Amino acid sequence: MFRISVTVCGRGISKRLASSFSGENALPSNLRIPSNLVDRARAKRPPPPSDSSLPVLRRCDAAIPVHLSPVQTWVETLERRDSKLLGLVDLHPDVFAVPTRIDILHEVELWQRNFKRISRAHTKVRSEVSGGGRKPWRQKGSGKARHGSIRSPIWRGGGVSHGPRGPTSFYYMLPMKVRVQGLKIALSSKLAQDYLHVVDTLNIPTPDPQYLMDLIRYRHWGESVLIVDAGEELPENILQATESLKTVNVIPAIGLNVHSMLKHEVLVLTLEAVKFLENKLLWHNERFTPLYPFKLPYTDLP
Amino acid sequence: MSFTKNTGGKALDLLQNLPRITLANLRPEPGTKKAEKKRGRGQHGGNRSGRGHKGERQRGNRPRLGFEGGQTPFYLAIPKYGYNEGHSRRAQYQPLTLNRLQYLIDLGRIDPTQPIDLTQLVNGRGVTIQPQKRDYGVQLVGEGAGIFAAKVNIEVQMASEEAIAAIERNGGIVTTGFYDPRSLAVLCKPVPYFLSGQPIPKRMLPGEDMVPYYTDAANRGYLADPEKIQKARIALAQKYGYILPDISKDELFHMLFMRKDPRQIFFGLSPGWVVNMAEKKILKPTDDKLLQYYNS
Repeated sequence: MFRISVTVCGRGISKRLASSFSGENALPSNLRIPSNLVDRARAKRPPPPSDSSLPVLRRCDAAIPVHLSPVQTWVETLERRDSKLLGLVDLHPDVFAVPTRIDILHEVELWQRNFKRISRAHTKVRSEVSGGGRKPWRQKGSGKARHGSIRSPIWRGGGVSHGPRGPTSFYYMLPMKVRVQGLKIALSSKLAQDYLHVVDTLNIPTPDPQYLMDLIRYRHWGESVLIVDAGEELPENILQATESLKTVNVIPAIGLNVHSMLKHEVLVLTLEAVKFLENKLLWHNERFTPLYPFKLPYTDLP
Repeated sequence: MSFTKNTGGKALDLLQNLPRITLANLRPEPGTKKAEKKRGRGQHGGNRSGRGHKGERQRGNRPRLGFEGGQTPFYLAIPKYGYNEGHSRRAQYQPLTLNRLQYLIDLGRIDPTQPIDLTQLVNGRGVTIQPQKRDYGVQLVGEGAGIFAAKVNIEVQMASEEAIAAIERNGGIVTTGFYDPRSLAVLCKPVPYFLSGQPIPKRMLPGEDMVPYYTDAANRGYLADPEKIQKARIALAQKYGYILPDISKDELFHMLFMRKDPRQIFFGLSPGWVVNMAEKKILKPTDDKLLQYYNS
């Protein structure tokens, strides 16, 4: 009994000794990124200090619960290559600081991939393969194995017994609130890991794609950028600039989805896009269950 | 970013030092996805593929469900009795307790300063009515009569005596009204009905079996004599031992005495009218025959 307790304590002591040698905050080996893949120059931006002199350009429209506080981040501009900070912006914590659930992100990602999928693989069954109605040879006396049709599945050229049958749909809908929560979690994780940038407008001086690439390289944003604006009409310059670029894409805010956010390294939102997203995503926190589809008019729902 | 003041703050602070969440990092919660059993493959799924050894089981020739080898099966041995006979012809009334009604009024989901109708109850998500499943409306149940303290003008399809007493004790008015299934569907979901462009139908009168119920003053039926209803109110007050408050001197007197016509489904809208929601207009019929039909 005493010896068993000593060996158990010994294992614990050795584990603790190992961690103290390598440093208390060391990541486990499977989470460490090799040094050639890490961009050293992309240092973590310090968060805006509470006594910063920059003006707060936007406060949250919706009421923030009493026990939470809004998250703040810088507002930049795309007009010049060098990063001049215009001000700060308040982000609602129920959209941009929700607890991270990668299983919800996984579910939403799988849903996005599969709900549109229609597999058109189709094989012919023995009854559909051309021919094979007649018995090939008599049942007894020919010395050959007994068969009823030349298109049975054991024959070469015969039908497939259990193959894919016709266009199959993999359509299913995740609950609306799960999809909304997936968007909120993606936004929060982008903000937490410093991959979210807020910009005042998308007006750039030239339609040259090289300008955007220089800007992104200079500011060490990352490899791929997803730019989101609120309305349908986007400025001409940015549309032309991103048309030929593969890793930099512009979308309206209604098109924001978890797959695009995870595929692109960096997410850039305009102030109107932040307002639009907060409005749309926070509505689901307080709505009633639908009696009929939300597209039809409701007088009492906000 | 100091997230510690928000929910999940500690997790978000940890996330700042972890690798980027990408499509390659997503995984389901361990234990949620169980691997599918693949029949006919491998050491455990193969060989007989879970079918057993020989006989009807392996060859897929088992008899039908309920067969007991020739012995009279259970479902034939037990004699029939009409427990469920005519179940699809029986009216169902969704119960609404006074507890629930008080809860809805307190939360502001139902406005007691307007007449309370089945539409208001459904809009406030107080009850769920399925007109297609033989629901004929809502019945007021007396549970919570002790704590009920709201003055309301409520219209239901059935009401128990204790519930009527509790509401009248607080100076309110209860009415029971009949809605045939089509009118009930229109009442519960008015917006999709108006968008379909059909005129508002006239409410049908109750069938033979329900006429005695709705003409009885004790049930506050909508076809009953108003004088008899007044007498019934006084009798109920005496029975339950409370003083009947005088509603005619109330400030909301006009609202409390609003009642629907027996052929009317909505307050303020007559049968035969077409509501155009897109242009916010109401179209009324002008043809004589239509007017005669809708006014009958």
